Amino acid sequence: MTEHLGQRRADEGADPRRERGSLIQSVDRAARILKVLAAGRRLGVTEIAKRLDLPPPTVHGLLRTLVAHGFVEQDRTSEKYQLGPGLLQLGSSYLDVNELRARSVRWADRLALHADAGVRVGVLVTGAVLVVHHAFRPDHDVHIPEVGAQLPVHASALGKAVLAFAAPEAVDDLVADGLPRLTHRTLDARGLRAELADVARTGVARERDEAVLGESSVAAPIFDAGSMPVGAIGVVADTSRLLPRGRAPGSLVTAVVTAARGVSRELGVAEWPARADRLSPSLRRR
Amino acid sequence: MTAEQLGVAEIAAWLREAAAVVRAQQARLTSLDAAIGDGDHGLNRARGFDAVERLVNFPDHPVTPGDLLAQAGRTFQQRVGGASGPIWGIALRRAGQDLGDRQTLEAPPLARDLDAARAGVVEIGAAAPRDKTMVDALAPAVDALQKAAADGLPSDAVAPSAARPAEDGVRATTPLLARRGRAAFLGERSISHQGPGATSVALVLRALAGTICAAPPRLYGDE
Repeated sequence: MTEHLGQRRADEGADPRRERGSLIQSVDRAARILKVLAAGRRLGVTEIAKRLDLPPPTVHGLLRTLVAHGFVEQDRTSEKYQLGPGLLQLGSSYLDVNELRARSVRWADRLALHADAGVRVGVLVTGAVLVVHHAFRPDHDVHIPEVGAQLPVHASALGKAVLAFAAPEAVDDLVADGLPRLTHRTLDARGLRAELADVARTGVARERDEAVLGESSVAAPIFDAGSMPVGAIGVVADTSRLLPRGRAPGSLVTAVVTAARGVSRELGVAEWPARADRLSPSLRRR
Repeated sequence: MTAEQLGVAEIAAWLREAAAVVRAQQARLTSLDAAIGDGDHGLNRARGFDAVERLVNFPDHPVTPGDLLAQAGRTFQQRVGGASGPIWGIALRRAGQDLGDRQTLEAPPLARDLDAARAGVVEIGAAAPRDKTMVDALAPAVDALQKAAADGLPSDAVAPSAARPAEDGVRATTPLLARRGRAAFLGERSISHQGPGATSVALVLRALAGTICAAPPRLYGDE
């Protein structure tokens, strides 16, 4: 899924019409409408329909859908259409992820080398942690690139690291959707909240066999210049190697924190982890 | 060895055969693992069966069939990393606990042994049928053994009656979307790959059939 994040920009200029047979018609048409509007002028339904060689009612339906998502807005007086603020939001999250990725690569490689383990960098998307960068375990030839993989928020160290510093609503929303039990060690809502309080205090999240049996992870949050938790970086490995006797070795924790702090600094944050008074009141109470 | 017995010697022979088969199929299992998870899993599983083979060749003390199987399970739990350790560990231990000191080979108790293994895997792995896990080979084998028990199958037909449905179960994993294990995070990338966990279960059950029936095992994927 995230192959798109880095590569699609280059395709903007390409004309996808040649391969239109494999495209989904309505999405394709919506994208063409956005491109026409991106030329900068406000346009009416008839003008857009003429340019795209489509029936005006079809264009109207597409425009209403795009308006509903905030990607297009309609000028009240002229009734013409222009690009909407929703696109800006999409665009900035695209930039955030790319910058996070760019800043993480060096730190992820260094951490992978130090920990002799795979390293993942992830961001929270709706209901999951999206892996945006994956550094392989050094000198280890059998693996699958995990960029684009979606990890369970409640059952990954990456997810817990971000969630512990996110708005309390994020935790409430996640819990409200139900926390799927992936192994016998997966935390329930109560266990998760208790652990998030620890993570908020220490800045380090841990996950033991909670998503995949025999596999565990340790991660720390990455903050941006506004002290917002934009993602996390962490190592993943066999439980017996990562958490001997159930605990992460101090040197490993230090290495993970160093990486998270390093990426955060490059993104412009002054303080790591974010100050406790930034934390949600519900977490501070515990 | 006689067809009616499932004593310590038969269990030992079975585990040796299972180790040999897993070793012989190592490249294939690793490629299945690597396609949707991590090649380490295959390596760990092979290491586990190698350790089990050493165990049965040099048992610490005289044991019952159930003890030997449970010891094999503990070997996995203590020595093997990754998912193979806990999963094969619990499966073999639970089967061994259920087997106890029974020596006879009959469908009803064997169905219960295997069902105990299945329940253990489901318990720690929170897996359901069609999640693309070992359960997809174990559950059909249990069902078939229960049916064999009801039909009063002769003892030399019992083990093969478990192996075949397990193999059918393996084939049925290919189009499935993985819902447990590392492969679950890859979403649709897990489709069109045969489940490595289920494959290894089928191999081990085929090894049981081969051992008990003294017929050469039909290696999975040879047909």
